[in-house]
Amino acid sequence: MGTNVFDSTNQQSEISNSIMNNGSDPLIRLNSVTKVFLTDEVETHALSGIHLDIRPGEYVSIAGPSGCGKTTLLSILGLLDTPSDGSYSLKGHEVANLSFADRARIRNREIGFIFQSFNLIGDLSVFENVELPLTYRGMAASERKSFVTGALERVGMAHRAKHLPSQLSGGQQQRVAVARALAGRPAILLADEPTGNLDSRNGEAVMQLLKELHQNGATICMVTHDERFAQHADRTVHLFDGRVVEDRIAA
Amino acid sequence: MNDLRFALRQLRKSPGFTFLALLTLAVGIGMNTAIFSLIQDLFLRGLPFSEPERVVRIYGESKERDLKQMPSSVPKFWHYRDGQTVFSSIAADWGNGFIMTGSGEPIQLLGGNVTANYFELLGIHPILGRNFLPEEESKGDVVMVTENFWRKRFASDPTILGHNITLNGVPTTIIGVLPNLPISWFGRDSEIFVNKPFEPSGITKDRLMRGVSFMRVTARLKPGVSVSQAQAAMPALLQSYKEQHPETADNTWSPYLVSAAEDVTGDLRPAFLTLLAAVSAVLLIACSNVANLLLVRFTGRKREIALRMALGAERRGIVRLFVFESTLVSVIAGMIGLGLALWTVSVVPKLAGQNIPLESGVKLQLPVLIFTLGLSLITGLLMGLYPAWQSSRADLVDGLKEGGRGTSGSRGQHRFRRGLVAGQVGLSVVLLAGAGMLVSSFVRLSRQEPGFRSERVWAGGIGLPPAQYPDPATRGRFAERLQTELQTAPGVEAAAIADAVPLSGNSSRSPYARADGNPVPVNQRQLGLTRSVSPGYFRTLGISLLSGRDFTEQDKVDSRLVVILSNSTAKKLFPNENPIGHQILFGTDNGNGLPAEVIGVVGDVRSQQLSKANDVEFYRPWPQRSAPFLNVVVRSATKPEATAGIVRAALNKIDNGLPILQPSTLDAIVTQSLGQERLTMTLLGVFAGIALLLAVVGIYGAVAYTVEQRTGEIGVRMALGAQTHDVLNLVVRQGMNPVILGLIFGLAGTFAVGRLLAAQLYQISPYDPLLLGATAIVLAVAALLACLIPARRATLVDPIQALRSE
Ligand SMILES: Nc1ncnc2c1ncn2[C@@H]1O[C@H](COP(=O)(O)OP(=O)(O)OP(=O)(O)O)[C@@H](O)[C@H]1O
Ligand SMILES: [Mg+2]
Repeated sequence: MGTNVFDSTNQQSEISNSIMNNGSDPLIRLNSVTKVFLTDEVETHALSGIHLDIRPGEYVSIAGPSGCGKTTLLSILGLLDTPSDGSYSLKGHEVANLSFADRARIRNREIGFIFQSFNLIGDLSVFENVELPLTYRGMAASERKSFVTGALERVGMAHRAKHLPSQLSGGQQQRVAVARALAGRPAILLADEPTGNLDSRNGEAVMQLLKELHQNGATICMVTHDERFAQHADRTVHLFDGRVVEDRIAA
Repeated sequence: MNDLRFALRQLRKSPGFTFLALLTLAVGIGMNTAIFSLIQDLFLRGLPFSEPERVVRIYGESKERDLKQMPSSVPKFWHYRDGQTVFSSIAADWGNGFIMTGSGEPIQLLGGNVTANYFELLGIHPILGRNFLPEEESKGDVVMVTENFWRKRFASDPTILGHNITLNGVPTTIIGVLPNLPISWFGRDSEIFVNKPFEPSGITKDRLMRGVSFMRVTARLKPGVSVSQAQAAMPALLQSYKEQHPETADNTWSPYLVSAAEDVTGDLRPAFLTLLAAVSAVLLIACSNVANLLLVRFTGRKREIALRMALGAERRGIVRLFVFESTLVSVIAGMIGLGLALWTVSVVPKLAGQNIPLESGVKLQLPVLIFTLGLSLITGLLMGLYPAWQSSRADLVDGLKEGGRGTSGSRGQHRFRRGLVAGQVGLSVVLLAGAGMLVSSFVRLSRQEPGFRSERVWAGGIGLPPAQYPDPATRGRFAERLQTELQTAPGVEAAAIADAVPLSGNSSRSPYARADGNPVPVNQRQLGLTRSVSPGYFRTLGISLLSGRDFTEQDKVDSRLVVILSNSTAKKLFPNENPIGHQILFGTDNGNGLPAEVIGVVGDVRSQQLSKANDVEFYRPWPQRSAPFLNVVVRSATKPEATAGIVRAALNKIDNGLPILQPSTLDAIVTQSLGQERLTMTLLGVFAGIALLLAVVGIYGAVAYTVEQRTGEIGVRMALGAQTHDVLNLVVRQGMNPVILGLIFGLAGTFAVGRLLAAQLYQISPYDPLLLGATAIVLAVAALLACLIPARRATLVDPIQALRSE
């Protein structure tokens, strides 16, 4: 595939349409999504008219300068936040009309989050942290155990299952966070600067993990500043000031 | 000074904390001060006598006949007085009523007859005039009045001495004015004291010498003689009395001594111990609430601590700074509490009614002030020390280590906080259960069927001056005429005369025995509650006649002596017989008592206490057993309050020189009889309510704080798909954990203190499972609500915000 540079939203939507027409149905479709924050009478346009289609199995990296709206975009994709305007359909379903409980359920079943700052729960052991989303799913204990063990083995942290997060290094904590995100076998993995708090060696290890996940069929959206890490993805979306300024699909 | 200014500034900076802490502590310290002040009044201050610890009362008792606190007879008193060696002096008195005439309307006054040495023994000196002289004891018509009397009725006339007033028809000379007297010793409204203590009207010389017991004996121990030493001297004294007066009925009661203080308030002690325990618990709860707040507050000042330490402050200095702050809070709260206490103390006498001898009028006493100050300081230290110590820990390593999302503060702090909550809940359970028991006991008591119907019955007393009504015949005629007048008055359904009204606290007892068989000697007989009533008394009070007949006008002074028995009496004395027609011996006349024929049986009446059934109660016809004082009971068709006028009008037709004493309704008398129970219940109820409130605030505070600390964690959980109920669950479960622990401790504690309460309970066990269960549920529900509010807030956490605010 070649390289497409779009500087107009119209063109972008045409292309998006053509992608959809040509290939499989998109897993995620953002249409003209806008997010406006109102603080102290000041409107911040975090996102303006975003069109974005992500097909199943894609590995998308999102890049752009600080404050350009990357986290906001990921929050909307992860159903943590709602667009001010525009529409978002997930697996062909419009999410705008979902109830609070439905959104929580989808977050729980379809989406895995990896945060920049790990966000492990300090009072829970490694095992319990990974188990948490499965508990909310109402999964039986025995099944949970095999899921959790599987996920921990995958990130190479099974031997630390009983430890508390504070007893782990930063890289280890992030691997646990990855395990937690993938334990429930979500359709989409959302990662907001997963290597931001890690040194390059640990960062590389986490990237390797994501790559393996992708190779096994996971759809991944990852925010990263780091050019080297962005290269792991097969598509890079560049944001600037709340707009998509470049959407490049790697060869 | 610098520290003080700094602490004050810190408090002003957070008005929310300051307000909550001050309020909580002020209530805690205030309630304690109030109870302490009552205890100080009732138990600690002591009677205003000279060397009150040397003053004792001498009573008689007979364990096998269940007789306690028996007063003394005239011959016994004389014998003690002349034979004893352990007292520096010994005196006697008995309560009496007087009608004062000569200055307009006749006035009924209360007071007593005393031996000449009575006030001197107590060390009470007249503020004007002099005490009685020994030679006046049985001769002089002289009177001592109280300061109140002097002020009210003589406008503090300095020339009052030598004035004559007419008391019970006898001109009497005022010789002295006494300072106002403690009501715990003299009763309420005592104004008049005369001597002639050995000539009670209405009792024949013969009966007097056979041991009619009506005198309270007071003695002053010789210096260096202890109560038990004096007690040891009493049996020999009784033995010689028995030998010299074999004819007396009271020569088998063993004498015993009670200290003046014990005599006056001894029976109130359990109730006040309970209340003291309750307020201490309230204070503990208040303290732990504030300690919790302080922990949060001090922990939140980590930066300030670090800075101070960086500038070279020692840990001791920082602890001191914080403790200073907490003590400042508690001392300010103590001052507010003092005001609260003064108000409470002014309300209590109204609540207590006649049953607790509290002087009215609030005075701030030095011991109370010292108590409050001391309590405030201790409170401040107690609750400030641990939080200060904890938060001044330089846990730099802990602080810098990235522990991931979750709770803040050390594990020790967590345990401390949870312990506080559990403790609060435990104490509240005990208080709430205790209050619940007292309330349900009180409800049962007020619902207790007394055996008579009190509604629409008016009651009032009339004293018959011995000068005009010297004998049973004149008193009998008076009663009959008054009753006739009343019964024909409009609006009156029924009217009767009795020597005492049920539950009024007045009663008398006579020795009795079945006349058939071999009656035991008089001095070994049981004493039975005996009430003198006119015909129609049972109908007026709605007491049912079970068999036989009521008294009639034909049961006169000199006709055949008759008696009506209560049902229990009939069962006890004539278990398998019809009692009607049998003879019972009453009194001491002839050395064997006089036989009276049983003519009827009536239903049982709880005439002494609502909580206790009388095993024996006799009714005698008023003319055959009259006294110089009688009660009128009138059942009216409408409100009993209007009856006073009817009685007054009826009385005026017979003798317009007789005032009506203590007009009241039977309903009020019944209510009044539960005054102490009502006071204890109300106070404990209030304390339990406060405890519950404080505990709920405490639980709320702890949970709200946790939620605030865990906003980030909750945000993560929500991002991972936690539903609303998952979050609610998480917070409530964590919040309720120490509550459950506290409930268990509390129920165990209730079992432990159940014994303390058991004696104050009526028809309910301190281990009543229903009540304990209900208490636990009330607390659990209140705690749940306290958890739900912050839990609800937790569900509103915006995960993005939570994740963003790293
Ligand atoms: N809750 C909010 N209220 C107000 N403004 C917000 C809020 N959240 C984000 N913004 C604003 O929206 C814009 C986009 O924020 P966002 O966090 O998406 O940026 P980002 O691309 O993730 O930046 P970074 O690389 O620094 O993480 C910023 O200008 C930010 O200040
Ligand atoms: Mg960001």
